Amino acid sequence: MRGGVRGRGGPRMGRGGYKMKTFVPRLPFDIYLCEPAFQRAKPAPDETPLQQALLKRNTDLSPSPTEQTAVLNLVTKIATVLDTLIVTPGSFDACQIEEHRQVGSYKKGTMRTNHNVADVVVILKTLPTREAVEALGNQVTEELRQQEPADVLVMAMLPNDRGFEISNSEATVRVLVTTVHQNLRKLDPELHLDQKILQSHLAAIRHSRWFEENAHHSSIKVLIRLLRDLKNRFEGFEPLSPWMLDLLAHYAVMNNPSRQAMSVHQAYRRCLQLLAAGLFLPGSAGIADPCEGGNIRVHTAMTLEQQDQVCLTAQTLLRALSHGGYKQVIGLEGNASIATDMTVWEGIVVSPLEKAYEKPPERKEGEPGDELADDDDMDMADN
Amino acid sequence: MAANNYFGFTHGGTQYGAAAAAAAGAAAYQATPAAGYAAVGHTPAAAATYAAQRATTAYEAAAAYQPAAATSYAATASSAPTYDYSYTRAQTYDNAAKTAAFYPQPTSTSFSAAADPAFQAKSSTTYTAGYQNAAARPAGQASKTYNYPAAGAAQSYTYPNQAAAAATANKNYSGYDAALYNAATLYVQQQAHTAPKGAGTWKASRPGVGATIGQKPKLKQPPKPQQLHYCDVCKISCAGPQTYREHLEGQKHKKKESAQKQTAGTTPNAPRGGNSLRCELCDVTCTGSDAYAAHIRGAKHQKVVKLHTKLGKPIPSTEPVVVPGKSTTTTAKTGAATTTAVTKTTEVTKVVATPKINFVGGTKLTTTTPTATAAAAGTAVKEEPKEAAAAAAPAAAAAAAPAVARDDTVAVAAAALGEKEVEPVGQEYIEEIKNEEGKVVSFNCKLCECRFNDPNAKEMHMKGRRHRLQYKKKVNPELIVEVKPSLRQRKLQEEKLRRQQMREEMWRRREESAMDDEERIYWEERRRYEEEMEYFEWCRRGAGRGMPPFGPMGPMGPRFGPIPPMLRRPDSADDRHVMAKHSEIYPKDEELNAIQKIVSNSEKALKMVSDDIAEADAPKKDDGTASESKDEDGKELPRTLKGVMRVGVLAKGLLLQGDADVQLVVLCAEKPTRTLLERVANLMPKHLATVTPDEKYALKLSVEQASLIITNQTEPQINVTVTLTSPLMRDGAADEPTASKDPPDVLDKQKCLEALAALRHAKWFQARASGVQSCVIVIRIMRELCQRVPTWTPLNTWALELLVERVVASAGFPLAPGDALRRVLEAIASGLLLPGTPGLIDPCEKEPVDTLSGLTAQEREDITASAQHALRLMAFRQVHKILGMDALPPPKFNRGKFNRKRRRDNSCSGENGDSEGGDGKKDKKEDESEAAKADAK
Repeated sequence: MRGGVRGRGGPRMGRGGYKMKTFVPRLPFDIYLCEPAFQRAKPAPDETPLQQALLKRNTDLSPSPTEQTAVLNLVTKIATVLDTLIVTPGSFDACQIEEHRQVGSYKKGTMRTNHNVADVVVILKTLPTREAVEALGNQVTEELRQQEPADVLVMAMLPNDRGFEISNSEATVRVLVTTVHQNLRKLDPELHLDQKILQSHLAAIRHSRWFEENAHHSSIKVLIRLLRDLKNRFEGFEPLSPWMLDLLAHYAVMNNPSRQAMSVHQAYRRCLQLLAAGLFLPGSAGIADPCEGGNIRVHTAMTLEQQDQVCLTAQTLLRALSHGGYKQVIGLEGNASIATDMTVWEGIVVSPLEKAYEKPPERKEGEPGDELADDDDMDMADN
Repeated sequence: MAANNYFGFTHGGTQYGAAAAAAAGAAAYQATPAAGYAAVGHTPAAAATYAAQRATTAYEAAAAYQPAAATSYAATASSAPTYDYSYTRAQTYDNAAKTAAFYPQPTSTSFSAAADPAFQAKSSTTYTAGYQNAAARPAGQASKTYNYPAAGAAQSYTYPNQAAAAATANKNYSGYDAALYNAATLYVQQQAHTAPKGAGTWKASRPGVGATIGQKPKLKQPPKPQQLHYCDVCKISCAGPQTYREHLEGQKHKKKESAQKQTAGTTPNAPRGGNSLRCELCDVTCTGSDAYAAHIRGAKHQKVVKLHTKLGKPIPSTEPVVVPGKSTTTTAKTGAATTTAVTKTTEVTKVVATPKINFVGGTKLTTTTPTATAAAAGTAVKEEPKEAAAAAAPAAAAAAAPAVARDDTVAVAAAALGEKEVEPVGQEYIEEIKNEEGKVVSFNCKLCECRFNDPNAKEMHMKGRRHRLQYKKKVNPELIVEVKPSLRQRKLQEEKLRRQQMREEMWRRREESAMDDEERIYWEERRRYEEEMEYFEWCRRGAGRGMPPFGPMGPMGPRFGPIPPMLRRPDSADDRHVMAKHSEIYPKDEELNAIQKIVSNSEKALKMVSDDIAEADAPKKDDGTASESKDEDGKELPRTLKGVMRVGVLAKGLLLQGDADVQLVVLCAEKPTRTLLERVANLMPKHLATVTPDEKYALKLSVEQASLIITNQTEPQINVTVTLTSPLMRDGAADEPTASKDPPDVLDKQKCLEALAALRHAKWFQARASGVQSCVIVIRIMRELCQRVPTWTPLNTWALELLVERVVASAGFPLAPGDALRRVLEAIASGLLLPGTPGLIDPCEKEPVDTLSGLTAQEREDITASAQHALRLMAFRQVHKILGMDALPPPKFNRGKFNRKRRRDNSCSGENGDSEGGDGKKDKKEDESEAAKADAK
């Protein structure tokens, strides 16, 4: 509980007490939030080329209608089979399905081309044992085969026991398995799937729901697609999870004083600016996960080293972008080496950055803990 | 009537008692008036061997009744007691004396009933009596002859119930009918048929009649010597009389016998709880339908069936007999599914538990006609009349049997309901263990971690309670596993459920409240955010009015109370490093004093110079205006030299250790000329000497700088640059044509404008930057950085000040020094200096001017890269690397505590001395900013 309310420094101070949290996560500098303080001293540069390039890239990345249809077909079939299993389980008793939901990029409409994978989360009423998952997979495949014997279906278990995937020649559907909430406490790591994974699948449902409600703006979707592409191309962005990208895109597009969606090119640049300014660094308020209680900052899922890496990459790319290297950043030209090698843009040398993170000596790490403990002590003494 | 009958029995009994053991039965029977008894006389002789024939005879006897009595199984059911009875008799010849005493009872009753046609025709009561007697008989038999099977005992118990039921009915038949099947009509028919033969049709009487008729045939047919020694108790056969006797004397047999005797009085083998199923044939009670099925399949049962088939004994249907526990628990257990009707059925089942027996080879069923009845009766000669009568008695029960039989399926269903015919679950968790040949040798249940070899056992295991519980626990928590039946356990279970519910409720509530908490925080923050936004909006709109948007406290000042808490405790690691660095770079006292001295001396001297010039120029100037100005200003005379002002780092309080150059600006009424500058330079030494006679100052004139430089001779060496300028220079720049009358030797315009700008910057700084929390500290730190790190050098002081002020102020709330520094780095890292960004507008210029325009693209790039690295260093606790210092050791642990304690004491006691201490501390904490402000002035 304590950890979760770190952010309350503000309101607490407001009450005029002595309460002051040493650690108040703070949003990094974001020029779009303090535009009034930075009136334009020179005319805005023409950003049409960037805009055009981004739109072109988006078109390249979007799946073709054929691909969409292929995925849609497979998803629909599997959904039907799952529905049937829910309504009339018949002889299938390996597990009981509570419900199934589509999640992920397919559901959100942020699918990329050549990545025809749709995710479906199946919530089991029963406890998810590996056998049950496998049986479910077999059952679904079996029924699909019965429906359409001509289709070549491959059922494979996903790594880490996340579920199984069914693919035909054109599309793949990943069925991620989880269980109802009240079952999570009953899990036995030896028998059942990993609890963390199950929770992540439940979270995926919340995410897609949140997305539907909050992030339906097409600018966001386009931006997410572009960011995913960015992540795929630059190794440094590997630690960013899809959910972080979703939130980042939403933040970049929507979080401005006017609350009006910003244009894609602005938001794209802003994403890099935010990352470069350390939005996802320790000590930053980052983005609070809207689907989790307790003010969890999404970027804390990354290790410190990863946070450094992400920030570093974004910083280098931002400079390249600012010096006219947008085509390379967006991915229309060149390769990922711009993030790691020295480059020259219009006579300006852009050099890559070095890691700042170093493994702390053991004592140093305890420092914040001490401070926090200190604070907590005070709290208790006060209360 | 009944009394009479009973009387008759007793009488017969005495007679019997007098008879010899072997002949007793016969004698007694013969003594009784019934003709049938003569036949009975034979039976003792045949007793040991009659088995097969008797089966048929008995059957026939029953069959004779049957056409009337309708359904076949009713009849079959009826014959079971007959058998039992007869066998019993066979076995109990030893104790004939006793047994005999009781035998006559039923026999005679039934006989008397049978013998008297009038009786039969007339009154129903007689019948009732007959039944009652018949009912009583097995009871007596059961009690006296040990070997009566348990089931028989059950029957004996239930019989009276039935009979009683019948008795209560006004008409015997109809009463029976109502209770049982459609016997009433049959009775009427039978009576019609058998009227000549007496009571023949009606069970109890008929055997008697049959016996009478069949006396002769009986004589013709000696009993078949069937040497099969069968123990009814143990359900086994013995090879010979010898082994049979041995068996009878054996421990095992005795044990069973006594066990039966004990249980005879009570519900047979009442299971501990809940229903159980009973195999009548083997007298085995099974706890569940699966166990029952297993038994039926089992070798033992098969053996008994075989034996019985061989013996021609009736084999009870494999339909299980439900042996209910307490009926109340039964209903409770089966729950809502079991309707009351079902319960009733089970009760009925209980009542007629025994009679459900099949005849083996009951082919003669079809031949039964009235005559056949007679024939059958004839064949029954071998039977003791009482046995026949006994056959009648069960036959009465048999009438009841159909009802039962009809309900049979229901009963089975009830039995099933009793344990809720379960689906096997968790098949996929049962591993088949194969031997080398790939044959399944055993099974392993992964859930229960047990092994078994039998596929049947596998099936049963999957239905089993333990397995289901494991399945529930590990696979499907919603699987319903029936609760253990005991009342206590149920209570416990309920209690547990209740507690769990309460716990869950509690958790839920707690979660909700936690959610509330979080939600509150969220909304609080949201509100704050929106207020900020509103504020910015307001600022933007208000910008037109040209007023400074932020007061000295910053925008959030009032909200956070009089003392911004950040100021009080700058103690994050970053803060501590920044503050340590700051105190390191802050000029030492002697430096400050030296600067203070030379600056004030210069100012005083300049004032005197100004006075001199004013005096000298007085004739030129209008006196009135001079005096006027003097009045209103008091300090500086609005003369040619209107005043002297501190600018630059001196004015802003940004002096760093080692800073030796400070600036003063002298404002002139007219555009400053070289002449004027020289004039001032000439006058200065004299006045400096008068101000500080003991100090030596060197004076240097720099026309191209539009300034003169005063340098002291002592350490530390300080250079004071005095620049002459005039506001007219700027105006002149604005409207060049009108400023045509410039004096020819006017000083360098650019320098003068710079001096003017410096003046404005100083004013701006005092108005804005010095009011922003941590701003001055960060600017000092950054200045030091710019001096130290070549990459940053291109960033000039003014741009830096502006940048820091904007960035820190735009945070919207007071920042701790560490946070402020980080924010500045963030701003630069996010590309504030890079091309394509808005740039940094100069608030001190009329036209929009980018303060940063002096930087080349490469410089911007390098500064940005450096800031980006610095930002990450800071985020990863290496701020000391940026600051160029050693990492500070972590603070002493209890320092914060100490502070807190004192503070808390203050708030608690509010005593004078303490609070003074507190105030003192606050003052100390504020010293820095206070000092900064003081410096700035």
